[in-house]
Amino acid sequence: MKATSSDHVYKAATLLIVGVLALITLFPLLLTVSVSLQTMNEVYAHEPVIIPAKPAFSNYATALTTGSWLRYFKNSALVTLVTVLISLIINSMAGYAFARISFKGRNVLFALILLGMMVPTQVTLIPVFSLLRHINAVSSKTGLINTFPGLVIPYIAGSFGVFLCRQFYVSFPQELDDAAMMDGCGRIRAYINIYLPLSGPVLASLGVLKFTGTWNEYTWPLVATNGEKLKTVQLALTSFRDEGEIYWNLLMAATLTVSLPIYAVFMFAQKHFVSGLLAGSVKA
Amino acid sequence: MRHLKKRDTAAALLLLFPFLTFFALFVLYPTAVNLYYSFTDYNLNTASWTGLKNFARLFKDTTFLKAVRNTFVYAFISVPFLTLLGFFMAAALRKAGKWVKWLRLLFLYPYATSMTAVSMIWLMLLDPNHGFINKALEYLGFEGENWLFDTRLALYCLILINIWKNLGYCMLIYLAGINSIPAELYEAATVDGAGEARKLVSITLPLIRPVAFFVFITTMVDSFKTFEQVQIMTRGDPMNETTTIVHQIYVYGFGEFRMGYAAAMAVVLLLIVMALTAINYRLNMKGETEVYGR
Repeated sequence: MKATSSDHVYKAATLLIVGVLALITLFPLLLTVSVSLQTMNEVYAHEPVIIPAKPAFSNYATALTTGSWLRYFKNSALVTLVTVLISLIINSMAGYAFARISFKGRNVLFALILLGMMVPTQVTLIPVFSLLRHINAVSSKTGLINTFPGLVIPYIAGSFGVFLCRQFYVSFPQELDDAAMMDGCGRIRAYINIYLPLSGPVLASLGVLKFTGTWNEYTWPLVATNGEKLKTVQLALTSFRDEGEIYWNLLMAATLTVSLPIYAVFMFAQKHFVSGLLAGSVKA
Repeated sequence: MRHLKKRDTAAALLLLFPFLTFFALFVLYPTAVNLYYSFTDYNLNTASWTGLKNFARLFKDTTFLKAVRNTFVYAFISVPFLTLLGFFMAAALRKAGKWVKWLRLLFLYPYATSMTAVSMIWLMLLDPNHGFINKALEYLGFEGENWLFDTRLALYCLILINIWKNLGYCMLIYLAGINSIPAELYEAATVDGAGEARKLVSITLPLIRPVAFFVFITTMVDSFKTFEQVQIMTRGDPMNETTTIVHQIYVYGFGEFRMGYAAAMAVVLLLIVMALTAINYRLNMKGETEVYGR
């Protein structure tokens, strides 16, 4: 099979497209790293600087001591951790029930979950805010707004994870349940002893997706928190802009630091991230 | 047997209970309440029924109409670019072999980065005075632009950033679709003397149509939800040229606490998203949409 000349053109064209797009994709990241290591003189220089003369690593320390970054990281980490943990537990429980147990009203209920999946969180933003404001309003005038539970609850109410888990559990053979029944296992025992130990892949995917989504969230903390107490890293990042003069080098250092946990997860769990995204793209 | 069935139902309810509680309280109920609010003048404290007044107002609200227009422009430019470019990239990567893993990582990192961080990076690049893009343009003898501060350019800058961020995701979905096309088809075509371009047109393109449709709808729905980059980068300025539907919801709901009015906007958004999803499901039923493999 000889490659035709049109094949060479084709190959060259695709190489060119991918090359250019790769460059466009990568360049902003490289520049972010570069600016994060520049001095303000270099940032203000007339000529574009790509490689800083003497990398100013101190920018990172300076950026992270502007404001209480330790607190912001602690807040984000705690919110993310709790969200991931609770989501994994309640979503896999519900996903299992939908996939393996037949009960009256199952289809209607699942249709409702799918329906809920398509309601954008932006649509429910105002009612959720006002609802949380009225919960526990006796002890505090603003209820659960600007509290830790108020920050976490909307994240764990999303139904995507249930959908993901159901898709996973539905693919197991019926014999597995039959065998469990033979051994006198109830449904819940079967879930805990048989299904849960096999749930590694789906829980990893869901965990990675939830981690990324929660860590990266901006809108909900913006409306549901106030002041420093519960400020997350994403919110803290935007406050660099609110000051008169923007120290781009510090801002880029902070931007990279905030993104670092995501990049780490992404590097080491790319497989789970990808399989989660793909599973989410398959319709029921 | 009947006794077993009952026990099953009890177990199912027990397993579903924690999730359903949150779901009912914080997804279903708020969706319904939002509809109610849209017929009132709710302001976080009181709500009295105003009928269709909010909706009548919406159609005369020039800022909201501008937001709708911007959102549509945003979607109608982002979506074709993402749907087409994503496909070409995936098609190009089909033969990349062991490079695929690294290229995938490279193209996916903007998608994994938070919109906040992405906004900061592009604010830096596009800064009229100290941003790299203007510096580079001036260095090459061109004149810089005001980018996000220019009424003609700001919206298109946001659109470009959106494409930059989401392209990798679209490519990924296509890549999965392309990889699940049976290799024999390509081999048979090779035997028949078909070149690479021919294979792309005759095999990949027709078989990938359902995936393209999925990407099309997903990116469309996402575009209609645009908010974060607007709030962070431009606050809807200059002259409301970059405001979007969700940005208006935020401004009215949480800036002015005119939540009834903002709820009416949210209803409009929900209707648009539901219509798009309904189209998706309809075609799905016909067996048109199904992403191959996993």
